[in-house]
Amino acid sequence: MRFDIDRYKEIIDTLSRNRSRTLLTGFGIFWGIFMLLVMLGGGDGLKKILSENFSGFASNSIIIGSNNTSKPYGGFKRDRYWLMDKSDIEAIKTLVPEADVVTMMESQWGYEFVYEDKSYSGILKGLTSDYLGVESPKMRYGRWLNDVDCEQERKVCVLGSRVWENLFPGEEDPTGKHVRIKGTYYQVIGVDDRKAGININGSPSESIVIPYQLMDRMFNKGGKFDIICMTLKGGVDSDTAQDKVRRLLARRHTIDPDDKQGIMMLDTEKIFSIVDNLFKGVNILVILVGLGTLLAGAIGVSNIMMVTVKERTTEIGIRRAIGATPKMILSQIITESIGLTVLAGMFGILFSVLILWGAGQIVSSLPDMGGGISFQIGFWTGILVLSLLVVLGVLAGLAPALRAMEIKPVDAMREE
Amino acid sequence: MLIELKDVNKTYYGAQPLHVLKGINLNIERGEFVSIMGASGSGKSTLLNILGILDNYDSGEYRIDGKLIWNLTESKAAEYRNKMIGFIFQSYNLIGFKTAVENVELPLFYQGISRHKRHEMAMDYLDRLGLKEWAGHYPNEMSGGQKQRVAIARALITKPDIILADEPTGALDSKTSVEIMELLKELNERDRLTIIVVTHESGVANYTNKIIHIKDGVIGEVEENRLHDSVRFGSDGALK
Repeated sequence: MRFDIDRYKEIIDTLSRNRSRTLLTGFGIFWGIFMLLVMLGGGDGLKKILSENFSGFASNSIIIGSNNTSKPYGGFKRDRYWLMDKSDIEAIKTLVPEADVVTMMESQWGYEFVYEDKSYSGILKGLTSDYLGVESPKMRYGRWLNDVDCEQERKVCVLGSRVWENLFPGEEDPTGKHVRIKGTYYQVIGVDDRKAGININGSPSESIVIPYQLMDRMFNKGGKFDIICMTLKGGVDSDTAQDKVRRLLARRHTIDPDDKQGIMMLDTEKIFSIVDNLFKGVNILVILVGLGTLLAGAIGVSNIMMVTVKERTTEIGIRRAIGATPKMILSQIITESIGLTVLAGMFGILFSVLILWGAGQIVSSLPDMGGGISFQIGFWTGILVLSLLVVLGVLAGLAPALRAMEIKPVDAMREE
Repeated sequence: MLIELKDVNKTYYGAQPLHVLKGINLNIERGEFVSIMGASGSGKSTLLNILGILDNYDSGEYRIDGKLIWNLTESKAAEYRNKMIGFIFQSYNLIGFKTAVENVELPLFYQGISRHKRHEMAMDYLDRLGLKEWAGHYPNEMSGGQKQRVAIARALITKPDIILADEPTGALDSKTSVEIMELLKELNERDRLTIIVVTHESGVANYTNKIIHIKDGVIGEVEENRLHDSVRFGSDGALK
């Protein structure tokens, strides 16, 4: 069809002739699009918030914890307590080729950290520089532990953001200052800004990290610890690796290899995939519900167009009598239908984008949110929805247009 | 010969088949001003629909300017109607949400003539019919006579071979009826337009140069009416 301003003027004319009806009909489409986009954007935003929590944590890590045994094995009774030591780490490194980083973690809860007249009670963690492979800190000031700190057993510490806020109110740079922990002074080398999220043995924001060796000595642990954190090399199967590690530890400590409670293992990859699948499911649900609403709206448009065509029998008859071909009538009705759906849909898109923007602003301004969370739908989602609207418009206009095509010019004279 | 009908038959197949046109033979020359007169039920509306390519006939032959009108596709029929025939209806049949000038433009729109050109032509025709000031008005803001003149402008704008007027004065008072008939007469005399008026009013028929009587689906008397004295109505301008 050729381009002609009058074609578009005509559509606007017919749509504005019955304003309230157009409005109500368009509302179905508007609501459908609005729901679809708001739910899509909302789901996406939630996913972003969640993955923000995961950020900084290696997605292929395995956490191993020693716990009271739950089964008797090799002459030992159940409920035996056992701990791991450095030789276990060496054994895993040499005998499990899938392992990449293997490192221990020692932590103690409820310790007083003191700076001048201020004190804060948090978690004390003993780690080595290897731990950087498991969790990447987000440094606000300074640096994290390095190899030299650990080798030379320097009395240094990294503060969690919450600890820092409480010991150094007023956003002060604490590096170089000394914090007292259990009677010993530690020099602050950095502040880790990682917020909540997933964590092992307590949130990083509530912790102070010191070199593992110091921690071991401070609490007289004798080189024993109850947590090993390890990551896997790329592309290896985590189940096989887990199994190997479990059997290795079971043999070394005479524990039933089937004792899942005695040797606790946590596979972050599993957790990530659960969350991923959850959001896939949510997305499918959202799309189903949204498309359903949209479809209902389109059926509404089709219905109303049907009524309109019936009402306009005389007008269409006149048009046919003075030379409109059935094809022209068809395209007129379909263009009207597209016009109505796309117009209403555009308002839906506009409104949902506005709402999502508002939601993003509110969530981003919340504390503990890391900022910059966007609920907005993507540009291509918008384009996709727009083309979906055009398709829906055509479909909705099809039945009424076919009916309009059947109107004969004589009908113009019959209905007077 | 502009219009040739040979033994045209038309039956409506309802619950009771109705043989409406029973072998119509009719010839109309270019430039004639003819009326087809008959009572309701005589088949004159059916004949008009066939003449206007709005309806099909069952048997016989209908030619316009030598072209056989038979079994046309919808789009071909639409094209012929658009190019060869101008309609004037009893109820004006203007589109209510379009202004006078937009109504007049409509046939040209369907011919694909550019916006600017068709607006110019429509204004020209409205001017000729003395409606230039009313170009921007909607049909419901005009009197019956004005509306019918807009409809006439719309019928004329494609420069058709035939003007078909179906009871053109049916909804008008006698004074306006006279004006419309005078206008049609003038168009016939000045522009040599072929005009066919379908009516049941003898006064209206008396304005035409030839009166074709149709009764029970057959052509009855064909009356030459050059002197416009076939009935006592119309001679002094009293139509009704």
